[in-house]
Amino acid sequence: MKRIIIFLSVAAFAVAGQYDKVKITPEISYIYVYHKGKAVKIHRIQDTKNKLTGEYAKTYHPGHPIQPIKINDKVRTIGEVELLSFLKNKVNKKEGLLVDLRSKAYYKKESIPGAVNIPFKVINDHDKMEKIIRVLGAKRLADGTLDASKARTVAFYCHGLWCKKSAAFIKAFLKLGYPADKILYYRGGFQMWKILGFTTVTN
Amino acid sequence: MKQIMIALGAAACMLQAATVEITDGVPFVEVKGDDGKTYKIEREQRPGSYLTNTYALTSRPSPPFFIQPFEAAPKVETYGELELLDFIKNHQGVFIDARLPNWYYKSAIPTARNIPFKIFLNDTPEREAVLKSLGVVYDRDGEYDFKNAKELLFYCNGAWCGQSPTAIHALIEIGYPPEKLKYYRGGMQAWQLLGLTTIIPKKEQ
Repeated sequence: MKRIIIFLSVAAFAVAGQYDKVKITPEISYIYVYHKGKAVKIHRIQDTKNKLTGEYAKTYHPGHPIQPIKINDKVRTIGEVELLSFLKNKVNKKEGLLVDLRSKAYYKKESIPGAVNIPFKVINDHDKMEKIIRVLGAKRLADGTLDASKARTVAFYCHGLWCKKSAAFIKAFLKLGYPADKILYYRGGFQMWKILGFTTVTN
Repeated sequence: MKQIMIALGAAACMLQAATVEITDGVPFVEVKGDDGKTYKIEREQRPGSYLTNTYALTSRPSPPFFIQPFEAAPKVETYGELELLDFIKNHQGVFIDARLPNWYYKSAIPTARNIPFKIFLNDTPEREAVLKSLGVVYDRDGEYDFKNAKELLFYCNGAWCGQSPTAIHALIEIGYPPEKLKYYRGGMQAWQLLGLTTIIPKKEQ
């Protein structure tokens, strides 16, 4: 473990500057996140002429209403800077989970590093929903209430500003008793992640 | 020929049925601007449309461009598109495009007033005039009085643009109540990615 840490810090030193042309914030050029046990470096595409193309550059989305900025007054909506800090400080320490709610096919093709896939349709399966909440560390008590004092914080995302999956799923989570202050909503979703040139992984 | 006409008619009907709404039950929003004109704001209705202009660029050089935090400052509410549309429809306050004029005159969100962020940075006669137009007055001691100051909603180019946050910070520094300041972080980039209507503002004489 110690050797890995030394290696990582040397590596970080050696590539200092490599991702400085297009940084994330004035202080941060990249972060490491564990994705399925492997360290993945999240940075931004450094080619300043690069344009987003393909599916996520589409502007025509029939049947997909624009989503409000927040779910309710208690669930926090976050942007990329907050998501990265969540990945670094919570997900990497297994104190938080980033959930991609898109279908399995979309997730397999490309996702945010550090994200696990829970396809939205699981929402219709009560037993599976209960199991997810249990895996996250919440306990269903004998009187039916949920003890989430040791539960992990979960951040949700889906396709983007016009995708209603996150809002609906978060509402279902709240209904099951999951506390609002342990839920985060990355409203920008995969589309904003892509248009800002952030690293993605295939699964 | 007749058959083709019928087929076309049916296709047109189907297209019409598939109107891309802003949100459920809201196909478009009409807003009256300061110029007295009414602007219709809707989403992209043409299948197969993509964002291809400069707002499709993923990677602006830093500095000066960095990803902005979700909140511009404590107590300053971040808005999305629906909240923005409510703000301008209800004439809740002043909707401000904080970009430099060369950006604004290329394309802007309908009914926005261009007040470049730089104006807010220094105590100049120009800033005095702008503050006055926003409802800021002086009290007896010659200090700013923001009691009747208007609500302001700022936007610029997008999540990577620091211009509106800079304007917001400068206003808070001179005492503008943060509760009266709103920030549309998505900016021109998110607006266009959603296929929402933009205009090319006419230059004032």
